[in-house]
Amino acid sequence: MLLLTPILIVPLLAGLLCLTVRAPRVMAALGVLAFGVTLGLGLALVRQVLARGVVTEWRGFLSADALSAWMVLLISTVSLATSLYAGRYFERDVAAGAVTPGRVREFFVLTPLFGAGMFLVVLANNLGVMWAAVEGTALSSVLLVALYNRRTSLEAAWKYVILGSLGLALALMGTVFVYAAACKRNPDSLPSFNWSYMMSVAGQLDPRLLKLAFVFALIGYGTKAGLAPMHTWLPDAHSEAPSPTSAMLSGVSLKIALYALLRFHILTTACLHSDFSRGFLLGFGLFSMFLAAPFILVQKNLKRMLAYSSLEHVGLICTGFALNSPVTIFGALLHMGYHALTKPVLFFAAGNIHQTFHSLEFRVIGPGVMKVLPVTAIAMALAGLAAIGLPPFGLFLSELTILSGGLASHQTTVSALILVALLASFCGILQQLARLLLGARKTGGPASDARHPDGVPAMALLLGGLLLFSVWLPAPLLALLHQAADLIGGRS
Amino acid sequence: MDIGSHVITLMAALILVVQLLMTAQRQLPTSIRLFAIQSLLLAAIAAVVAYYHNASHVYIVAGLTLAGKVFFLPWLLNRLVQRIQIHQEIEPLFNAPTSMLICGGLTLLGYVVARPFTSLERLGNNTLPVALTLLLTGFFLMINCRKALTQVLALLTVENGVMLAAVAVASYGMPLVVELGIFFDVLVAVMVLGILVYRIRETFASMDTSKLNQLKG
Repeated sequence: MLLLTPILIVPLLAGLLCLTVRAPRVMAALGVLAFGVTLGLGLALVRQVLARGVVTEWRGFLSADALSAWMVLLISTVSLATSLYAGRYFERDVAAGAVTPGRVREFFVLTPLFGAGMFLVVLANNLGVMWAAVEGTALSSVLLVALYNRRTSLEAAWKYVILGSLGLALALMGTVFVYAAACKRNPDSLPSFNWSYMMSVAGQLDPRLLKLAFVFALIGYGTKAGLAPMHTWLPDAHSEAPSPTSAMLSGVSLKIALYALLRFHILTTACLHSDFSRGFLLGFGLFSMFLAAPFILVQKNLKRMLAYSSLEHVGLICTGFALNSPVTIFGALLHMGYHALTKPVLFFAAGNIHQTFHSLEFRVIGPGVMKVLPVTAIAMALAGLAAIGLPPFGLFLSELTILSGGLASHQTTVSALILVALLASFCGILQQLARLLLGARKTGGPASDARHPDGVPAMALLLGGLLLFSVWLPAPLLALLHQAADLIGGRS
Repeated sequence: MDIGSHVITLMAALILVVQLLMTAQRQLPTSIRLFAIQSLLLAAIAAVVAYYHNASHVYIVAGLTLAGKVFFLPWLLNRLVQRIQIHQEIEPLFNAPTSMLICGGLTLLGYVVARPFTSLERLGNNTLPVALTLLLTGFFLMINCRKALTQVLALLTVENGVMLAAVAVASYGMPLVVELGIFFDVLVAVMVLGILVYRIRETFASMDTSKLNQLKG
């Protein structure tokens, strides 16, 4: 049975169908349906991958290994929750006159295309096609960032598209150099550019070219993944985009870019048998973590703070991969999953707050959001506690896994640095959210909202999933993560 | 074979000259025309490579470059310029002589970086250094000119640089599916950028990207 093809086609069709229907409700339902289907297909794919190792279609044009299957699950889950949340969110926005119905349609057309682009990134076997798909995700999300058409959102979108495209031009240069290495190996034909082929000849590629390629790819895909110091577009785009889009950008889009970078990392390491790419990942990962912490502490805007928290998490994931022991890589993969379940909830809650208070500035909203929007505030508090890594939530588990793996493989300095950075952002987010959610209301401002709160199904889905998988990881998922960790660590 | 090499070297040099002219240029329509000339040279290089290697799929790449970058994109950009009717001059960060000097330095840098890899070039020489120089001067153009449309052009020259590198170091260009992917991405990118430029112009009544400065920290 075909699995990979429908995963690509279903969201694409859903997006195109949204062009023909009028009612926003139907468009939202189409989105939910499409990503529900891809989630189901993703689960089937996990079974296939566990049984056969690698699943290929279209004569190897599409291919999925354990890492791809894991990413498919993340994309589907976050996109499903986003579509669930977006319907009601935009109804309120249209009622308030914040967007026109035309723009809402734009959202429902572009979001499934954005999703389909991300699926193509993780399923494409050809490194050049992977690049084109990453560029596709950037282009489909730019107009989403600019959806509100405010001065600030246009500024954010412009920075996003210019920095993103420049970065991706560098990534393309890296891709060209990898291909040049393949051409140099057999100069008299047009060699395949498939990942599987490149890996099979990795030992015979020109190491100098691969080094050059990795550095270009690191800067390029690193820009898209929001690694510091190329992260400057990230807080702008995440804070100015509509909240459902922020959830997609932060929940999966960053990780998709990191996935592309990982593919180069695996290839470079297989060719060089050295710590060359690992060292780079370590440096950029740690720098991102340390840069995020002070910005969280002094932040005055709710969604910007959440964006910097994402920067910290991406840094941690990157560092986990760079530590390169089986335990830390496993922890980093797990962290990707838990973060994808947590961060969208925070952005959904921030969206509710934005629509009620018409601002994201801490001094306008807080304190005492709990008294106005109790359900939203509780969801935000739970997800906030999860994001800073408190038990019983899974992020505690994955952070602990990375730290213990680092210590067990005698990388004490790095582990200590990770701990310091984690503690700093722990304090920052805890303090900021406590001041925002708790305390007595100032006089004035919106009264307590007695209506049925928005976005509960989406937030409940993600938080429920987070709690469930924090205490229980199903055996197939565990096997999948181990297989993916072996792949990244070069042990398969 | 030898003539092909000479032709490619000559055209790579011309691409560099066009790029330097563009950095000194302030009139948008002229810049767009220069970009079209540069793309034409790129298409010609691809065609020469296709001829000498008997690689038919590179002809398709040359054709696409001709149709897309020499005719369609300049037409699209020109239409955008007419629609948003810009009259104001925006001073670039550096004046023309200084930017020429900086670009000279960047060219030198491109040659230094590319030196260990020039042995990869199958046809012609100096293509890889020119490609890297296009990349670097494209970045400079992006910083120097704060007009939204000039930044779009800068991005396109960077992309031309990457395509030149692809022709230079990968003997037969990239596989066709990749070339097609890149081609359509570039087209869509310019359309998306065009929409954004139009909206920025409507909202800010200007194309000066240094006015996009409210988001900080």
